[in-house]
Amino acid sequence: MATLAERRSLEPWQDPKAVPYLRIDRVTKKFGDVYAVDDVSLDIFQGEFFSLLGSSGCGKSTLLRMLAGLEYPSSGRIYIDGVDVTDVPAYSRPVNMMFQSYALFPHMSVEQNIEFGLKQDRLSRHERGERVGEMLDLLKITELRKRRPDQLSGGQRQRVALARSLAKHPKLLLLDEPLGALDKRLRENTQFELVNLQERLGITFVTVTHDQEEAMTMSTRIAVMDAGQIMQVDTPTAIYEFPTCRLVAEFIGSINLFEGKVVATEGNEVLVETRVGRPMRMRSFHPMVLGTPVTVAVRPEKMRLCADFRDDGVNQLKGRVEDIAYLGDVSIYRIRVGDGALVEMTLTNVQPRTEQALTWEQEVAIEWSPTSGVVLTE
Amino acid sequence: MPAPPPNRAKHAHRTSRLVNIGIPYLWLGLFFLLPFAIVLQISLAEPALAQPPYTALWQWVDEGLLRIEINLRNFMMVAEDDLYLSALLNSLQVAFICTLLCLLLGYPMAYAIATAPERWRIILLMLIVLPFWTSFLIRVYAWIGILKSNGLLNDLLIWLGLIDTPLAILHTNTAIYIGVVYSYLPFMILPLYANLTRLDLSLLEAAADLGCRPMRAFLRVTLPLSMAGIVAGSMLVFIPVVGEFVIPDLLGGPESLMVGKLLWTEFFSNKDWPLASALAILLLALLVVPFVMMQRLQQRMEGSRP
Repeated sequence: MATLAERRSLEPWQDPKAVPYLRIDRVTKKFGDVYAVDDVSLDIFQGEFFSLLGSSGCGKSTLLRMLAGLEYPSSGRIYIDGVDVTDVPAYSRPVNMMFQSYALFPHMSVEQNIEFGLKQDRLSRHERGERVGEMLDLLKITELRKRRPDQLSGGQRQRVALARSLAKHPKLLLLDEPLGALDKRLRENTQFELVNLQERLGITFVTVTHDQEEAMTMSTRIAVMDAGQIMQVDTPTAIYEFPTCRLVAEFIGSINLFEGKVVATEGNEVLVETRVGRPMRMRSFHPMVLGTPVTVAVRPEKMRLCADFRDDGVNQLKGRVEDIAYLGDVSIYRIRVGDGALVEMTLTNVQPRTEQALTWEQEVAIEWSPTSGVVLTE
Repeated sequence: MPAPPPNRAKHAHRTSRLVNIGIPYLWLGLFFLLPFAIVLQISLAEPALAQPPYTALWQWVDEGLLRIEINLRNFMMVAEDDLYLSALLNSLQVAFICTLLCLLLGYPMAYAIATAPERWRIILLMLIVLPFWTSFLIRVYAWIGILKSNGLLNDLLIWLGLIDTPLAILHTNTAIYIGVVYSYLPFMILPLYANLTRLDLSLLEAAADLGCRPMRAFLRVTLPLSMAGIVAGSMLVFIPVVGEFVIPDLLGGPESLMVGKLLWTEFFSNKDWPLASALAILLLALLVVPFVMMQRLQQRMEGSRP
């Protein structure tokens, strides 16, 4: 178990005395009558790898562009390292951005692209040369330095774009879909590299992504956005295991949702009556009033086969296997229960598929424990 | 359908390639090389009172004896007479200044159109192209009405109290500059516009993000990337203006002798076709050099685009 002090240095957002490096204070951005970003407040700390996650059009890119100074908020303030930068133009902000399209200058070589920002800082030729060399080394692209962007592959361009945005040694790096243009395999490798790089350099990263897996693997914290608002800000684990609303629960991974209402409370557990089976017993973090409409949310991998189905068993359901999706490592079973609801269950394929007993149209019983899901009030 | 036997397929492929390459070459040969050869031949002849008004380059004198006369006097005359040389230089100078003026005026206009909101672009482009709907000659004539001493411009300036006596603009080089820039501006704007609309705006954002103020971003990103458009527009203005006849004839004065006017005089007034041809050949030779250079530059610029 880590001590409190250790935890606080790893998770500064837990420490009430920690001073955020980036503070977004009630920022709103309107385009005409449309609220692209709607009253967003966020504190991001030094050294974080922070992800803005959401589907396209949720306002995450607009928020990032406002941090870069490429858009100005309609209202609200942005502070970087305690300084109000809301009205500071992009070229004077101590922030760099890696663009989704990379935006490499096509008329310059890799070297010149990386050197571009350094020239604006009026560094001496010697310093510039050193810094460019350092970046080329860091991203292992030294042999590409004389090439032009159109002579590079997608992955190489991504590295050059990253090198260019890191060359000025920014304290805060903004990344707009940094891995969006890469193919799947390359993306997975690059994810780890990006995290290593961030940890090594100690730079605060704020990235925008629509890919939940990417956000989960890389981030210290994730802000899930929808319709210009932030739905939940938390660690990847908390976002996945303890979503606070249906939208977040459904956006990340897949999940079984049972609508119902609270019929009894016992200690930190509640009984929820739903259309499916007997009342479900779930752990609840908040005291709940009887009769509150709630949704019980349980992830498919938290479901398990039930060996001893009893009429008075806790969170047990009977049903029939309707669909099986074999994914190699796991299989997803869709089970028709009670009055026709479909429940998804994921099982690891411990045995080869041909050896498995579970097949279509088979009657099964499933169960889950009261701590395996959450009760959502909205 | 079964595939045709490889031999026939190969043959068909070769034929189609020959046709594809052949047609443009045939076109060039017929409408460029042949006329050029004729003009070259005339430039090497001597003027004569005949129809056509020049001597033949070769003739059969006796059985089996072919006499070829190559007359280089026309070229020598053009080279020796200050009149032709100064007309050539004057034409190049006028064309150069006009190209520069068109560029200085046209670039901001093309930039403004390219960055205007979508619905405005069509209207603005229409306004650029609209003058073409009226005859070129009539538009140049109209400038006489504007520029003459009791014309619109002078009346306006006097009415505004800026001047007391009318300015003498018509029949000066200034009038030529005004006429040429007015007439050729669209040829500068359109290729520049086509180029600037292709500019990826995120490049400018990247430049700003890396600490570049808007003016520097323009100089270091927009300008180099639009070089191909600048070269194309400049060629479209420079080359025809060197040989321009109508504008200097109508708006220019005695001081502004341009090679187009000289060609006209030699051909139609003096009926000296060989001399006029020699002049035309020299003009062409003079233009080929900058043309090839600019073409090279343009290719290099295009090559660096993604």
